Amino acid sequence: MTSAKTHLNSKEFAEQAAEEMITSRSFWADARVRFFKNRMAVVSVFMLLCLVLFAIFGHNFAKWSYEEIDWSILGKIKTEGAPSIANGHYFGLDELGRDMFARVVQGSRTSLLVGFVAGITSVIIGSIIGAMAGYYGGRFDQIVMGMYTIWLAVPYIIFFVVWQAFFGRSLAQLIMVIILVNWTAGLLIVRGQVMMMKNREFVDAARMLGLNDFAIIFRHIAPNVLWVVVIYSSMVVPEVIMMESLVSFLGVGIQEPNTSWGALISEGASTMTFGTLWQLAYPAAFFVIAQVSLYYIGDGLRDALDPKDRR
Amino acid sequence: MLNYSLRRLAFAIPTIFALVIFAFYLMRLAPGGPFTSEKPLPPAVMANVLERYGMDEPLYVQLFTYIKNILCCFDFGPSFSQKDRSVNQIIASGFPVTLTYGFWSAVFVLICGIPLGVIAALRHNSFWDYLMTGLAIFSQIFPNFVLAPIMVLLFTLSWGLLPGGGWNGGQWQYIVMPAIGLGTSYMAGVARLTRGSMLEVLNSPFIRTARAKGLPERTIIWRHALKPALLPTLTYMGPVFVYMITGSVFIDVFFSTGGIGQDFIDGAYSRDYSVLLGLAIIYCVLTLSINLVLDLLYAWIDPKVRDAL
Repeated sequence: MTSAKTHLNSKEFAEQAAEEMITSRSFWADARVRFFKNRMAVVSVFMLLCLVLFAIFGHNFAKWSYEEIDWSILGKIKTEGAPSIANGHYFGLDELGRDMFARVVQGSRTSLLVGFVAGITSVIIGSIIGAMAGYYGGRFDQIVMGMYTIWLAVPYIIFFVVWQAFFGRSLAQLIMVIILVNWTAGLLIVRGQVMMMKNREFVDAARMLGLNDFAIIFRHIAPNVLWVVVIYSSMVVPEVIMMESLVSFLGVGIQEPNTSWGALISEGASTMTFGTLWQLAYPAAFFVIAQVSLYYIGDGLRDALDPKDRR
Repeated sequence: MLNYSLRRLAFAIPTIFALVIFAFYLMRLAPGGPFTSEKPLPPAVMANVLERYGMDEPLYVQLFTYIKNILCCFDFGPSFSQKDRSVNQIIASGFPVTLTYGFWSAVFVLICGIPLGVIAALRHNSFWDYLMTGLAIFSQIFPNFVLAPIMVLLFTLSWGLLPGGGWNGGQWQYIVMPAIGLGTSYMAGVARLTRGSMLEVLNSPFIRTARAKGLPERTIIWRHALKPALLPTLTYMGPVFVYMITGSVFIDVFFSTGGIGQDFIDGAYSRDYSVLLGLAIIYCVLTLSINLVLDLLYAWIDPKVRDAL
């Protein structure tokens, strides 16, 4: 018994080939398919979505606000401040008698916001400067690379201190300093890619058509290096979350009563000797979940986009 | 080679000057300062204080004096907030501490990271390989400010094995946790990098040739594969060592080792710009010189780079 599938005649073969042509996938569609085949990456996207939803809507479930002090328990936090459903403090209380659940929601909000906004903005800025340095070369390139060297040599905490002395401390200023510190992210790699690409035929063709440099860089070269930028962003976002947490831990980041994962972990670590471990455990757990998810998302993106790994 | 070294040096010196000028102006122009307090000083007293620190002169004169003092006598001036100490004394007391555990941390990174990477590459897709991947992920999600409290919780509070902080003249018990806390994430980085480059080298034609000649596996790995495979690790270690010294701010604060990072944060809190500036310059010079040395080393080791010079 023969099926039509196994014995294609030439006409059917042509039809099938034509169908394949129509449904042939672009680079990005291809990458999307590959990304969604990666189980860890999909689970991580789901986890991250949950975290984002938690950060956005979590305060609706909190019985207390993040700055409110529960006077009835203050002073007996060690014995009665532990997490409990009964008194509405799901994650317990912090050292000053504030509701940890509300504070973790607020902290997640700050950390995720700072991570994504500052991380992605700095990669975009770095990539644009890197692309221009790679494209123009010469003096401009030398100046950019000199700045890059100096920037990496300055301990970044100085920027936080000095910037906040100039402009005060707020969430917006914090995001700006982080962008200022991280503008070098993605610079080198995009510069290298553009340097490789600017001598290719399609760039010559675009130049022949009389396009200006701006159009060549952004319309013709940029789509070809976009995958690098995407991969790099997925690496920089967790790094920025970590940087924010570190500076908040050290006390030059986010300011009370606002909070972030780093600030919460810092408070939790300082009271750990009193046995109030929940103050450390909850923010640390959220931080770790976010970092794991972002790691696997980055990994999945790299596998999906990097042409070197194409199998 | 000499030409190349000189060229690199000629680039490093203006970079340092640019940094000094940039940082100096940034800090002097920042509003507020070590002498602003809630109750303002009487103008006459303020004028005296400013004169004492040479801050009544125009900025470029101050900058000139500052650079001149550094160049001629290696003098970074007095600290603004710690009245009886100079920046030199602060650096001299903190720097050896940071360098000591930074060194041990680097040793830890290399001793654990390279073998892990090599073994993971040799036993590709085995238990060791998975262990290493797990470790890399672990170190990414447990940065030192999460890892350090957990370590203290386990080793100090629960088991009482190691002291939870302090320095005590640098006894080994006091070095262990700072060194590990500082190094873990870099150790995983080194392991991952070594694994990648080792895999690449093992698949390259000259290793196939060595195998075809019938060399024993040991010789192939030790004599042929290891050296090219470790080159990327070497480049990676330069910035890592610098990051370790700068990134030690957290370790110094958390373990109160009395290292340079503690002074840095104290300086930041009290707006002690002379301390901050001095430390920034030290960091910068250190970064640039380590990178320079490594680049030269790299050029010396790698024949491809050496011949291109």
